[in-house]
Amino acid sequence: MNIIVLIKQVVDVELNIRVKDGALVEDGLNYVISSWDEIAIETALQIVESVGDGEVTLVTIGPDQAAEALRKGLAMGAHKAIHVSDAGFDGSDSFAYAKAFAKILGDRDCDLIIAGKQAQDTDAGLTAGMLAEFMDLPQATNVTKLGQIAADKLTLHRGGDNGSEVIELSLPAVLTVNDSLYEARLASLRGIMQAKKKPLETLDLAGSGVDAATVGIAGRQTVIDQLVEPEARQAGQKFEGDEEETTKQVLDLLVNEAKIFA
Amino acid sequence: MPPYESLNYLDIDSLLSEEERLTRQTVRDFVTRQVLPVLQDAHRTETFPEQLISEFGKMGFYGANLDGYGCAGLSEVQYGLLMQELERGDSGIRSFCSVQGALVMWPIYTYGSEAQKEKYLPRLATGELIGCFGLTEPDYGSNPSGMLTKAEKVPGGYRINGNKMWITNGSIADISVVWAKLDGKARGFIVEKGTKGFSTRLMKGKFSLRVSLTSELHFEDCVVPEDNILPDAEGMKGPLSCLTQARYGIAWGAVGAANMVYHTALDYTKNRIMFDKPLAAYQLIQAKLAKMVQEISKAQLLALQLGRLKEKKRLQPHQVSLGKMNNVRMALDCARDARDMLGANGIIDEYPVIRHLLNLETVNTYEGTEDIHLLIIGNEVTGLPAFR
Repeated sequence: MNIIVLIKQVVDVELNIRVKDGALVEDGLNYVISSWDEIAIETALQIVESVGDGEVTLVTIGPDQAAEALRKGLAMGAHKAIHVSDAGFDGSDSFAYAKAFAKILGDRDCDLIIAGKQAQDTDAGLTAGMLAEFMDLPQATNVTKLGQIAADKLTLHRGGDNGSEVIELSLPAVLTVNDSLYEARLASLRGIMQAKKKPLETLDLAGSGVDAATVGIAGRQTVIDQLVEPEARQAGQKFEGDEEETTKQVLDLLVNEAKIFA
Repeated sequence: MPPYESLNYLDIDSLLSEEERLTRQTVRDFVTRQVLPVLQDAHRTETFPEQLISEFGKMGFYGANLDGYGCAGLSEVQYGLLMQELERGDSGIRSFCSVQGALVMWPIYTYGSEAQKEKYLPRLATGELIGCFGLTEPDYGSNPSGMLTKAEKVPGGYRINGNKMWITNGSIADISVVWAKLDGKARGFIVEKGTKGFSTRLMKGKFSLRVSLTSELHFEDCVVPEDNILPDAEGMKGPLSCLTQARYGIAWGAVGAANMVYHTALDYTKNRIMFDKPLAAYQLIQAKLAKMVQEISKAQLLALQLGRLKEKKRLQPHQVSLGKMNNVRMALDCARDARDMLGANGIIDEYPVIRHLLNLETVNTYEGTEDIHLLIIGNEVTGLPAFR
């Protein structure tokens, strides 16, 4: 079972993120693998380990520093990685990335393509779905549990609002995974040392075979106009004084303003 | 508490390679997930969390800076960062890995025969075997060359008689690397658990390093096979070189403990309101925080320089003494200040501060007391030994 995992390097959202003049303040930021993509790597490793053969290949499109994310994935146990890096991709949206991935992955032999159900930075969750469409592959999104794995098909559960669907999918296919599926493993120290010996292929735009007109500003269908920081939360209201009086006030606000019984 | 980050006041992180940062983050995440949650109970019950033994092995924490035999093959700075992050959890946890790696695997790797290496190192690397290091004796701590434990040649092996004390992991160890005098010279012997004439006793009642097991080792006409002597170590250089390895790890580990108490004190004083404003808004608190930032930053640079020297194979034992002495004292001072800043919460185990403070009293004493390291440095700069 050969599996391709799409990963994205994102800003570590656990640390302070600041926006200034409509753009992210780059200074002091830390970059990590988007957490759902770490689950995607874990899923691929679990499948390959349970089947007992096959390889996990990581693919990312991103700047030079995104190689760090690939090396971490290799340290976790993935077998090889492809890094597509070129300024020509700057400004791409999900549509353009999906087009590019379709081209990059088109000729590669694989049984499954797995990605996180969305990326931690934009939360868009569009690329993998569009990729399945462009590659004409069946897909299942928001996978919460894996069932039987055979050479040509896979059963799985996907989460919905009011329960889950149990789906049988023919392979090859595209999956996006929910974070409830697994906890991503930590790389072992041996894994970290072995990672540098594993193949990491770097491709530029021309080498990737992607048509420059389909990516970057030329290829995008949507534009992020500006970034806005969330509004600061309003301070709570304090009620002091006579208990009977303040209880009435609070009750009145809960019923008539917050409309908790409406 | 906000997610843990080590102090990066001088942008020390920029002096680390990507691989070094990944190593640090990996161990940090492991400690957060698997070590921190079990410490309170282990500390209260004076037990080592045994489920971690095989987990450490899987992660490659044992003998991590050795090459081959199933070891991870980390660089010296990566190894230091491993020690730093383990000790951010607990000095006893770091001690467990330090002893296994620097005091058991390292001497076998450095002074052992090929057969000894192949027999023991791979299983020590996975944690299938636990090791301990027997040097200190009831009456010989800072003066190990006075050891009374003796070995004598007998047909087919060596007969050992004597007692060792303050031995980390002694009573759970499968093998002990024991130092004894053979014809007046210190030699290392591998003693397997269950060897006739060898017994251990767990030492209870410690108020420090409670997560680590400390034991006495007793040898009474204990005969070990001929193959169990370390062939390439003769004289005190053998055990002392092991201590240099362990002290190097401690110089890094102390930075982890200091970082943890600083992180805790910073968060606590920013959130604790006293006289209508956060404690951290008072000058006396800020002075303590600033002092910690100053000392931790210096200690980070010191540890890193020791690591870079070690990578170039230029690190001298007296330089390690400076690092061990400075960094542990620094951590101890941070812990004492942090304990003070947390008020009553500084003495309860809901916070990690009192545990680190108690532990660091041990760390300041073992592997060469602060005073002994002063004398080593004094000897180095004057050429005049003042040990006796």
